[in-house]
Amino acid sequence: MIRCYFSDYHPIVLFIYFISVISFAIFLMHPVCLLISISAAISYLALLRIKKYMLAIFLIISIINPLFNHAGVTILFYLPTGNPFTLESLLYGIATSFMIITVIAWFCCYNKVVTSDKLLYLFGKLLPQLSLIISMVLRLIPLYKIRFNKIMHANPSDNAFKTAALVVSIMVTWSMETAIDTADSMKARGYGLPNRTTFSNYKLTTRDIVVSIGLVVMSGYLICSNKLAVTYIPIFNYTQSLPDFIIYTILCYTPIILSIMEELKWKYLISKI
Amino acid sequence: MKKIILLITLFLVACSSQEEPVSNFEVTFLIKCDTLLGNLDKIDEIKHSLIPDNGIIYENYALEAYEGESVFDILLRVTRDNKIHMEYVDTPIYNSAYIEGINNLYEFDAGNLSGWTYRVNDVFPNYGCSQYKVQAGDIVEWIYVYDKMLF
Repeated sequence: MIRCYFSDYHPIVLFIYFISVISFAIFLMHPVCLLISISAAISYLALLRIKKYMLAIFLIISIINPLFNHAGVTILFYLPTGNPFTLESLLYGIATSFMIITVIAWFCCYNKVVTSDKLLYLFGKLLPQLSLIISMVLRLIPLYKIRFNKIMHANPSDNAFKTAALVVSIMVTWSMETAIDTADSMKARGYGLPNRTTFSNYKLTTRDIVVSIGLVVMSGYLICSNKLAVTYIPIFNYTQSLPDFIIYTILCYTPIILSIMEELKWKYLISKI
Repeated sequence: MKKIILLITLFLVACSSQEEPVSNFEVTFLIKCDTLLGNLDKIDEIKHSLIPDNGIIYENYALEAYEGESVFDILLRVTRDNKIHMEYVDTPIYNSAYIEGINNLYEFDAGNLSGWTYRVNDVFPNYGCSQYKVQAGDIVEWIYVYDKMLF
């Protein structure tokens, strides 16, 4: 298990990476691209224990599409409604569900790598209110989970109903109290005053610039070449080009490639001592 | 909404009781999209390969039909027997069927007023295909129309 060195890069690099990877995952419905993207997302997340709900999403969407969409030239059989069940529509359902799972996996990676302080750093100047709200909202559910566990540790009552009532009451009062505290604290620190600066410890170095230029060039190439077209309905038809696949693979696997390179460099330097 | 203009008659008189297939006779049955041949620019390029060169998807000048069969019944039977793709919406309560697409050529593929319609003996019947009972010697044609192109 290699440490993820990519998360040490400048937030802007991470942001460019995730923006391009997620939008390509949505727009490139080519089967090979879907496989490249999902393998990269899963290996990046070390998410080999694929979650159960993902399989459920996969099955439901793959089956639902051909039940309602009857277009396609290859008729497999007829549904009880009288309309055909076609191969193309099934393939399209499978591709769509793959795409959705891939995007969910990428967002899981995004949540782990782009933490709220990085988000605030990126958009703090541009959209101060919005980025603050986003980071506070994203923090809300984990925070409530922690508080809930703390209350349950205190073991308020033996009676289940009484426990539930007590937990709700404690949660509400606690949250309201901390909300007021937060507001006071923000006011005391001068929230909303003009000419305020925010502290951040991120420096744009040469390697950040090099990597971000690489990411932009690769994404630009993929957008301009536009060779990976695919249609599922009514006829399954696709084009392919090896350079595009290679570049897309490099783009998706960038964090893994960088981490491996860093690790090898480290090993090499140690060996020289 | 525009569906209504073309084909379907949703509110229909209560249909007569279903007759048993007694005697068979022959009809002429055609499925044509030749109207699209000169207007390929109207339709998506992916679907060009679906349009036959002569514009005829199916033709049979001596198709066996049964007493009491509607135009829709024949279409359903023919498309299944010949593995031609066909999608429809059935509303049994009104005994009304609407043909959305044949051979993957769908309604709206060639503009807002395009879709499948039928005519019998050169006349466009003013009611739904599941209501029209065929008779011996009828010439039944399914035609893909676009815009206000009605014959």
